[in-house]
Amino acid sequence: DALLGCHRSYRSRPTHGIGKFKYLLPKEVPKKRKEKVQMKEIDAGTEHQYGDVNIQMTSYDLCLVEHFAQYVHRLCNRLSIRVNESYAMPTKTNEVLFMEEKGSKMQLDAVLTTHQRVVQIRGLSSTFAPILLEIIQSSQPEGVHLLVKQHTEADFKSRLKSRPELEELLAEMS
Amino acid sequence: LCYFSSCSSWLPQSVPLRGSHWQSSLLELRTSLPVRAQPKKKKKVDVKKEQAQKERMKKKLRKLEKAAPELIPIEDFITPLKYSESNRVRSLPALSPEESERRVLLLKKWCLFKQKQDEAEKKAIKALVESQQEALKELRLESEELYEAAIRRDEGLFPFERDGPSYTPPLPGYDPPEGKCLDITKVYTQ
Repeated sequence: DALLGCHRSYRSRPTHGIGKFKYLLPKEVPKKRKEKVQMKEIDAGTEHQYGDVNIQMTSYDLCLVEHFAQYVHRLCNRLSIRVNESYAMPTKTNEVLFMEEKGSKMQLDAVLTTHQRVVQIRGLSSTFAPILLEIIQSSQPEGVHLLVKQHTEADFKSRLKSRPELEELLAEMS
Repeated sequence: LCYFSSCSSWLPQSVPLRGSHWQSSLLELRTSLPVRAQPKKKKKVDVKKEQAQKERMKKKLRKLEKAAPELIPIEDFITPLKYSESNRVRSLPALSPEESERRVLLLKKWCLFKQKQDEAEKKAIKALVESQQEALKELRLESEELYEAAIRRDEGLFPFERDGPSYTPPLPGYDPPEGKCLDITKVYTQ
């Protein structure tokens, strides 16, 4: 019994570590678990600080809006304003039709894609907010529509896919 | 018809008379002859079926709620397949030394221009902040409560909207052709 139950490893002996083999196998990367998309808590802010603020930039031109979003992100980093998230909203596609002058049929003019980027910041002080807005406005490129507003749950929900089955069931239950 | 009207005379008095034409049978008020062909369904089976249905619905709901909500995939970040499948590679022409020299000098000039622009922006921010701080200091010396009111956050600031500047001003008296805009965004459902 004593021989079988003995866990001492004789470190001075040459047979130390006999039976080990896991160090020979290739390192296993731990399985990446899919992170559930959960809404982070929305900060309301105090009297002297604004809570979560969304800076939304919309335009038909993709590169322009991307570069402007990067510029705003870097500006906030430089001014040590905490940036929670910097994401893109789903693109909207619009088909523009116009009526021909000498006809009654609608003709396809163009297919326009509207792109939107959002930079979410937190802890903007009330005295610095107008200065930041001024700087962003002065470097606003052509055709880019700027919208700065507080972050709400509805804004987060608009990023998620709609679930008609769940809604139907909920309507039936109640 | 005449028989009906004189029914009260020849019927024996023990049979209860029909009170009105709405009463469809000669039996008492609450009972009535079965009109349907099949016998009435038992109440127990109904309740059980309803309960089973409710359980099934609750199970479905729980299953659906378990699945986490997904974000809508953004089409900007997905490269269309036609750009990755083709094998054609662009071969750029060789640059002459003058051309490359010109490009390098142009790049240097652009770098300098951008640096000046960035420095001007930093200076502007600094000047704005400094002047604001000075104004607040003076205000504090003037009156404490005004200073407090100034420090507080402005509720009317958000939401703030502004359209970007345009290349050209709008044409006066421009008559746009009639048309409409259709939204053909792809709707994703989970």
